[in-house]
Formats: sequence, structure tokens, C-alpha cells
Amino acid sequence: MRLPFLLFLAAALATSCGQFPRDPEDTLNRVRSEGSFRVGLVAPLGQGRLDAKAAQLIQRVSSSAGAQARLEIGDAEPLLDRLESGDLDLVLGRFEKKSPWARLVTFGPPLRVEKQGKTTFHLTAAMRNGENAWIALVEREARNVAPEAQ
Amino acid sequence: MSRHFPPHVEEGIARARKLEYWTLAWLVTVVPLMALVVGSSQAMKTVWIEDMLGFIPPIVFLVSARLERKEPTDAFPFGFDRVNSAAFVVSAVALTLMGLYLLFEAVMTLAKAEHPTVGTIRLFGRDVWMGWPMIAVLLWSTIPSMILGRLKLPLARTINDKVLHTDADMQKADWMTGLAAIVGVIGIGFGLWWADAAAAGLISFGILHDGIGGLRASTAELVDGAPRKLEKDEIADEAQLLKDELERLFPGARVRLRETGRVIRAQVTARPPDLPLDLETLWPGERDRAWRLAQVSFVPPQDDR
Repeated sequence: MRLPFLLFLAAALATSCGQFPRDPEDTLNRVRSEGSFRVGLVAPLGQGRLDAKAAQLIQRVSSSAGAQARLEIGDAEPLLDRLESGDLDLVLGRFEKKSPWARLVTFGPPLRVEKQGKTTFHLTAAMRNGENAWIALVEREARNVAPEAQ
Repeated sequence: MSRHFPPHVEEGIARARKLEYWTLAWLVTVVPLMALVVGSSQAMKTVWIEDMLGFIPPIVFLVSARLERKEPTDAFPFGFDRVNSAAFVVSAVALTLMGLYLLFEAVMTLAKAEHPTVGTIRLFGRDVWMGWPMIAVLLWSTIPSMILGRLKLPLARTINDKVLHTDADMQKADWMTGLAAIVGVIGIGFGLWWADAAAAGLISFGILHDGIGGLRASTAELVDGAPRKLEKDEIADEAQLLKDELERLFPGARVRLRETGRVIRAQVTARPPDLPLDLETLWPGERDRAWRLAQVSFVPPQDDR
């Protein structure tokens, strides 16, 4: 009897405390209170006209979090490195499906899948590992942009 | 001659076989479900590996319960009573190594302060935090296991089976594993990144404990140790009583007992008695366990080196 009771208690506690899940580094709350979030666009994305799906995702996240996106363009490695250390909130780019970065950052559902020879690439958003409230928000909006990506 | 036991022991073995088949059937459902939800939670990964290791004791039991009845052969003239201990050493080594590895991983995750991601999944048009399906699968992995463990424990004593006893003990304690993992997952939900790795560390301690316990139980038999208690690495009370009884019947003789599978064999360094011994009446313990004494052999004192 103890186990179901404890679980019920934990679940009740979890659902009654507003935001669940929460971010260990408080990303979503910071984005909401500062009214902005920092987005890295992996070149060539953002050079010239921004990809329609990427633009849609930024727009949706922006309105869902009530914050403006601050964009910057760069190469994948430095941007992902900064994402991992919490210097950026989101990195958008075209990544290999089996990217070695998958252990260090969290990739959201793909906005588009592209095949190049035997390699599959995903146009997707990367988030900082463990920021589960922020990740949940971005994942939800990515699925709204690309409903085929579950 | 192939081995047969009294009816209540045979019934116990048949029931234990059924329970082990149920355990395997339940594990077949748990392991793929776990694989679907494991994500990057260290605690989930640890429980998943523990569940995969959970296949070993039932398989060892089922194989050895079949093999122990095999007729002795020229190559194995003493039969196959000990086959479960030999197999159990292998599974205990696997458990111990896996426990050490998972403990190391949990400590490294804590040391590197890796933050586990538990994302979302779209189910029936709603985005659901993966923590909830994880908890549901953990409950499914825990509750049947506890029930099976409790059913197996008394049977293990009736049929005096170390593999079954260790299996039952592991399963009975599974609620702690499940609860630790659930606390870890809920901890992630509350933003406590370390809760997951800490839970994984606790669970791997449990696996390590089971592995070391299994090693002790199985190696004692393989090195001809005196019969041990099922629940701990101490000489069994009934074995001590038997030794005392044989020493009383054969004063000054050296009496040595060893365990082969479920049964006890005694060796007495003395001249054999003129009349054959009745093993049933010789057994000083509970009557319904007299079947455990399978043999009393005699070695002339001058040949005991």
C-alpha cells in the first residue's frame, strides 16, 4: 500500500505545483522574465532568407514563451558549444541524424528530413540538456510546425 | 539412476517452474517497454539493465531443474546435481560486474554534472511529458515482480533451491528499485538533475549486493563447503544437527558434509556399520526435509588423507 500512496502523493505534488517539469537552470522562467531568448542559426541557415519552417518555429516559440528571439549566425560547433554551456537557448540548423552532439545537447523533432546519399539530415532545433520545461515547449511547437514529425 | 524427490518437493519444483515461466513471460513484456521509454535517464537505464539480467535466474533454474534429473553418464558419473551452482556462478559474476559498471556510470554522471533530458511525446494529440510513461512502465516492472518474488520465497525453502531463493529475494526487493527510479524521474521533473543519477547509484548498489550474495552462495557449494543457509552465508542449522548426529553415532570419526544441488552428502571417516543405515531415520531435522540427505559414505581411517 505504501508504494501507490507515495506515487499518488508525488504525482499530486507534481501536477499541483504549476510548472512541471522544471528546468534545473531555469531557462524557461528566465526567457519569460527577460522577454527574450538567444537563438543560434547554423550557417548557411539565416544567410539570406530564413528557411520557412525554421522561421515558423522561432515565431511560435516566441509567442508561446512571450519573448523575442535574438538571432545570431555561426558555425555549428561554436554554437553548440555555447548552447551546452548555457550561453544560447536554442540552436537551429541542419544536423546529421546520427550527430555525435546528440549526447551533449538535445535535438527536438525534425522540422524537415533530407537524404543525401546514405546520410540523413534533420533540420531541427537543439536545446541545452536537461532544461526539460524549455525542451517541452520547443518540442511542442516543433510538432505544430511539422505535424508529420512525432 | 535419475533423481526423484518426495511428492511435496516434486510439487514445489513444478510450481516453481510455472512461476519462472510466468516471470519470463512478464519480463518479455517489460524489457521492450523499458526500451521505448528509457530516454537519457540513468535510473531508467539501470532498471532496464537490471530487468534484462532478471532473465538469467529463471533460465538457470529451468535449465538446471531439467538437467538435475538426467541420468549420470560415463563422463559425469555423479550426475548433474550441481549444474545450477555452476550456472549460477556465471550469473552472479555477470550481476556483480554489471552492478560495478552501473555504479561507476552513476558516479561519473554525478561527477560530470550531466543533466538528464526527459522530453515529450505526442499521444492522442496531446504532448505528454515522457516522465509519466516512464513511471507507468516502472510500476509495471515492479508490482508483478514483487508478487512473483513473494510467491517464490517459501517455495525456495521447500525445494531448497539457491537459484530460486536468490531470484525471489531480488524480486521481492524490486519495489525499492522501482521506487528509487520513480523518485529519480520525479526528481528530474522538479529540476533536480542529480536525483536521477543518485537513484541509479542506489539501484546499482542493489544489483551489486545481489551479485555478491549470489557469488557467495554458489561458490561455497562448488568448493565443497558445508551446506549453507538459503538466506545467508552461514552453515545451515539442519546440516549442523546432522553432523552432530553422525558424530554421536560414530564417536571419534571425522564427519564432513557437502551440498550438491538440493541434497546433502555426508562422508564419515570410520569403518562402515554392519547394517545399512536408514537415511530417513538418521535425519535429525524436520521430517519433511529428510529427503535432503542423499548419501552417507564411509572412508576407512587409513585411507583418509
